[in-house]
Amino acid sequence: MSALDFVVLIGSMLGIAGYGIWRTRGRRNLNSYLRGDGQTHWFAIGLSVMATQASAITFLSTPGQGYLGGLGFVQIYFGLPIALIIIAAIFLPIFRKLNVFTAYEFLGKRFDGKTRLLGAALFLVQRGLGAGLTIYAPAIVLTTVFGWPLNLTIICSGLLVIIYTVAGGSDAVTVTQKYQLAIIFAGMITAFCLLLAKLPSGLTFTDTFALAGGFHKLNAVNFSTDIHERYTIWSGIFGGTFLMLSYFGTDQSQVQRYFSGASLREGRLGLMFNAVCKIPMQFGILLLGVFIFIFYQFQTPPLFFNSTSAQYLSEHRADPKLRAYETDFNSSHAQTREQLENWMNARHAGNFPAAQTAFAAAQTAQQQSEKIRAEAIEELAAKNSGTKANDADYVFITFILRQLPHGVIGLLVAAFFAAALSSKAAELNALGSSTTIDFYRHLIKRDATDAQCVFASKIFTAFWGFVAIGFALSAHLAENLIQAVNILGSIFYGVMLGLFVVAFFVRRVGGTAVFWAALAAQTLIFILYFNLTISYLWYPLIGCAACVIFSLILQLTLGANKSHGYE
Amino acid sequence: MKRHDPVKIPTTESEETGLPFFQTWKAVYLFVLATFVFWIALLVALTEIFS
Repeated sequence: MSALDFVVLIGSMLGIAGYGIWRTRGRRNLNSYLRGDGQTHWFAIGLSVMATQASAITFLSTPGQGYLGGLGFVQIYFGLPIALIIIAAIFLPIFRKLNVFTAYEFLGKRFDGKTRLLGAALFLVQRGLGAGLTIYAPAIVLTTVFGWPLNLTIICSGLLVIIYTVAGGSDAVTVTQKYQLAIIFAGMITAFCLLLAKLPSGLTFTDTFALAGGFHKLNAVNFSTDIHERYTIWSGIFGGTFLMLSYFGTDQSQVQRYFSGASLREGRLGLMFNAVCKIPMQFGILLLGVFIFIFYQFQTPPLFFNSTSAQYLSEHRADPKLRAYETDFNSSHAQTREQLENWMNARHAGNFPAAQTAFAAAQTAQQQSEKIRAEAIEELAAKNSGTKANDADYVFITFILRQLPHGVIGLLVAAFFAAALSSKAAELNALGSSTTIDFYRHLIKRDATDAQCVFASKIFTAFWGFVAIGFALSAHLAENLIQAVNILGSIFYGVMLGLFVVAFFVRRVGGTAVFWAALAAQTLIFILYFNLTISYLWYPLIGCAACVIFSLILQLTLGANKSHGYE
Repeated sequence: MKRHDPVKIPTTESEETGLPFFQTWKAVYLFVLATFVFWIALLVALTEIFS
C-alpha cells in the first residue's frame, strides 16, 4: 500500500464514521435511536437493505467462489424475489400496523411472552455468531495488506466497529449506508473494468466466455435433483425462498431497515428494489471471479492465494517437496497458457479442429495444475497445522494487491471496510435493539424510561460486539466465509420462520403449542445437520415445515386455541 | 392462555404505488416476477450455450 492508498482508505473510513456520528448527535429518544425518524425514502431503504445483506464477505469471498466454482453460487439467490414479494405483501403491512420495535414483539402480541423470547433468543444466537464472521472478513484484508497477526487484526477492527455502532443509531446506519454503497460500487466497477483491460489483447469477449464455459465456470443453473448437491435450481428456488424469507422477514437486522420507512409504500418499494437488483448484482460479482480465473490462465497465479500459506512457502523454499510442487505447478501452468494461445490462434484462423485439440490439451494441463495445487495444500497442512488451507477468500484480494494500481488498491480496501461497517452497524444495532426491547424492557425493567433504554441499548450493542469478536477469533475453522454465514443462518432461520408462518397463517395454534413445537423443530434440525449431508439450503424449509406441523399436532393434543392475535 | 385484543390485518392494496406504469401492487409484483424469470432464462441460456 502506498501513501495514496492510505489517504483514500483512511479518508473515506474516517469520513463515513465522522459523518455517521455527526448525523446522530443529539439523538437521545428511543424511537429515533432504534427506528430512525421514520421518514426514510424507498431508495434509501432499498440501499440500506442491500448494504445490510452485502457485507465485506460478499465482496471478498464471492469472487473467490466464482474463481473456484463458477457461477453456480448465484442459485442461492433464486428464492430472493419470491421471498421479498411475500414479505412486502403480507409481513410488512402487519408489522407496520402493530407499530412494533422488533419483529419478536409481534410474536408477543400474537402468542405470548415466552414465544416472543424464544424468537428473540434464536435471532440473538445466530446473528451474534454470524456477526463474528462479518468482523473476520475485513480482518483478512488487513492481514494480507499489512502482515499483521490475524487475531490482533480481528480485535482491533472489531473494536473500531463497536465504537462507531454504539455512537450511531438506526438512522445513522441508514444514512451512512448509501455513501458506503457508493464507495463499494465504485471500487467493484473499477476493479471489473481494469480486469477486462488486463486480459490478453487478442482475447475477444466471446473468446473469454467460450474459455470460461470450457472450464465449466459458466454453469449458472444446475437442474440436478440430487438433494446432496449444494447449489441447484431447486434448492435455490424452494430452499432459497425459505432462507431469504427467514432472513428478510424475521431477522431484526433487516426488519429494522424497512421499519424506518415513511410509509408502507416506501418499505415495499425498498424491498422490490432489492428483488429486482440482487440477482444481477451477485451475478456480476461472481462473473468478476470467473474473469479473474481467465486472467490467471494467461498470467502465472501463485501456488497459494492464501497469504499465510504463501508466506510459509517463501520461508521454506529449501524444502525439496514444496519446491517440487511449485516447479511442477509453474510448468503445468506454462503448458496451459501455451495451449490456450494455440487455441486462440486456431480459433481466430477458423481452424476449429486444431482449436478443439489445443483446448483439450489446455484442459488436461489445467486439471494437472489444480491437482498439484490440491496436493501442495494437503502437504502444507500436514507440515504446518497452523497454516490455513482455504484459498477462496484470498483470490480477489491477491489479484487486487498484485495487479491493480495504487489508489485503486486503497479504494477497494476502503470498499471492503465500507461494506463491513455498513452490515456490522446494522447487525449490532439490531442485536442491541432486540436485547433492549425483548429482554431488558420486557423482563428486567418494564418501567424503564427512554433514556435508560437508549443507554441499555448502547451497552448491549457493545456486549454483542465483543461476542462477535470472540466468535471471529475461531472463524478460520470455516470452509469458506460466505458459506459459513449461510450455513449458520440455515440452522436457525427455519424455526424462526416457522414461528412467523404459524403466527400469520395458522390461527388455530396458540403460544404454548408453537413454543414447544419450535424447540422440538430446532432439536430436529440439529440432529439432521450433524447426521445428513444434504445441501444446507434445505434446512430452512425443513425447520419451518417441522415447526408448523409440530404446532398443529401439539395444538390438537392441547385442545382448541381460543386466543387469536388478530383477525 | 393469554388473550389479546384482535387487530385487523390491513389489505395488501391499502396504499397507492405512486408509480407511473404500475398502478397496483399486484402489477408491481408481477413485474418483479417477470424480471426474475428473465434472469433465470438468461442464466440457463448462458449455461447451455457455453457448456
